Amino acid sequence: MLDREKCLEKTDEELVVLTLKNQDFFSCLVERYEPKLMRYIRRISAATQEDAEDLLQDIFIKVYRHLNDFDGKLKFSSWIYRIAHNQVISQWRKTKSRPLVLKFEADDDFLKFIATDEDLSLDTERKFAAEDVRKMLDKLDDKYKEVLVLKFLEEKDYKEISDILQKPLGTVATLINRAKKQFRSIVKEKN
Amino acid sequence: MGELEKKILEKIKEEKIVPKPRWQFLLKNYSIWTAFVASVIIGGMAFCVSLSIIANNDWDLYRYLKISPVTHILLSLPYLWLVLLFLFLGLAIYNYKHTKCGYRHGVFIVFGLSIAGSLLLGYIFHSYGMGRKIDRIFSRNIPIYQETFCCCNRKDIWSQPDKGLLGGRIMNVRLDDGFELEDFQGMVWQVEKDGQVLIREPFLVRVGEGVKLIGEERAQQHFWAREIRHWDGWEEDE
Repeated sequence: MLDREKCLEKTDEELVVLTLKNQDFFSCLVERYEPKLMRYIRRISAATQEDAEDLLQDIFIKVYRHLNDFDGKLKFSSWIYRIAHNQVISQWRKTKSRPLVLKFEADDDFLKFIATDEDLSLDTERKFAAEDVRKMLDKLDDKYKEVLVLKFLEEKDYKEISDILQKPLGTVATLINRAKKQFRSIVKEKN
Repeated sequence: MGELEKKILEKIKEEKIVPKPRWQFLLKNYSIWTAFVASVIIGGMAFCVSLSIIANNDWDLYRYLKISPVTHILLSLPYLWLVLLFLFLGLAIYNYKHTKCGYRHGVFIVFGLSIAGSLLLGYIFHSYGMGRKIDRIFSRNIPIYQETFCCCNRKDIWSQPDKGLLGGRIMNVRLDDGFELEDFQGMVWQVEKDGQVLIREPFLVRVGEGVKLIGEERAQQHFWAREIRHWDGWEEDE
């Protein structure tokens, strides 16, 4: 059995190398990313807890199978989020029975992050209730929601978002700016 | 250990799942890069043939063919090669976007770099005469190519003595007033020229040279030449 203490002192990249030698180390990566990816899946899809768990299992199996494809030029977290993003999209394409709905949980978190953003804090000023924010976010175009989730909820920087969504940095910046602009106009309407 | 974590690890062990070998990913990656480079090179070749055809075309012939300059330009453009150029540019972009780092650059940057690569390569190939060679290979091996696609030195255009256009090989040179010419159908023409004849390129009228003549059909197999142009690359064309 693996000593859990060993995991804590290792970086993700070191754990990948160790996992390729000894599969028991994969549990460290699963443990580290399970809650983060579960939150992310729930935030970008309308999956139920059960569906999200199945999806997460598929994601980790895929990560394990593709460990040799991780080349270290990328942050491991960006790589695993990318696999999660692609798996959610491909699952949605497969079934299509349930719409790909991006939803926001924990609006307090969102407000906390959004309030630190210079552009948006002026407009929101924390004066809306969580329910109001959720409704306003629902009005955003789908293409803007995921970048906002990654930026404000997952706290990813532009480079990481670019690596996760596999879009050029400029496109990510444009998407975030447009998302903010649209969000501001929704806030103004609400005012 | 959480439930899900346990389930995942059990599944890996039970189904004996193992990481795919590194060589598979490397092979896929190198294949995509090879396809990208090949697309740029083939695009470059298509551009070099286009360049050769455009550079060697007789753009002033619309007067003799009795068509407008625009029609002549439209009829003379090397569409096949231009289509191939854009097709392989598209493939180059597609392949680049599928490389590991392909998403980092916008389509316009990739398109710009691919087109710059193909044009530069095309220019280098053209300067080594590759365009003519490729065009010649197509002309020799694909009969429809000569008539349908605008290759260099189209023989069909220079086989219209009734319109004042005649091409072929000089057979026998008479002292001052002309020479005999064998056309592409193997017919021998008596060609007359006088002191006013315009000889475009600096070349000598001598036996074995390929020439393009602009003038007038005066009688059966008798042609009066107003202008003589050298048939560039005749030896290779034949």
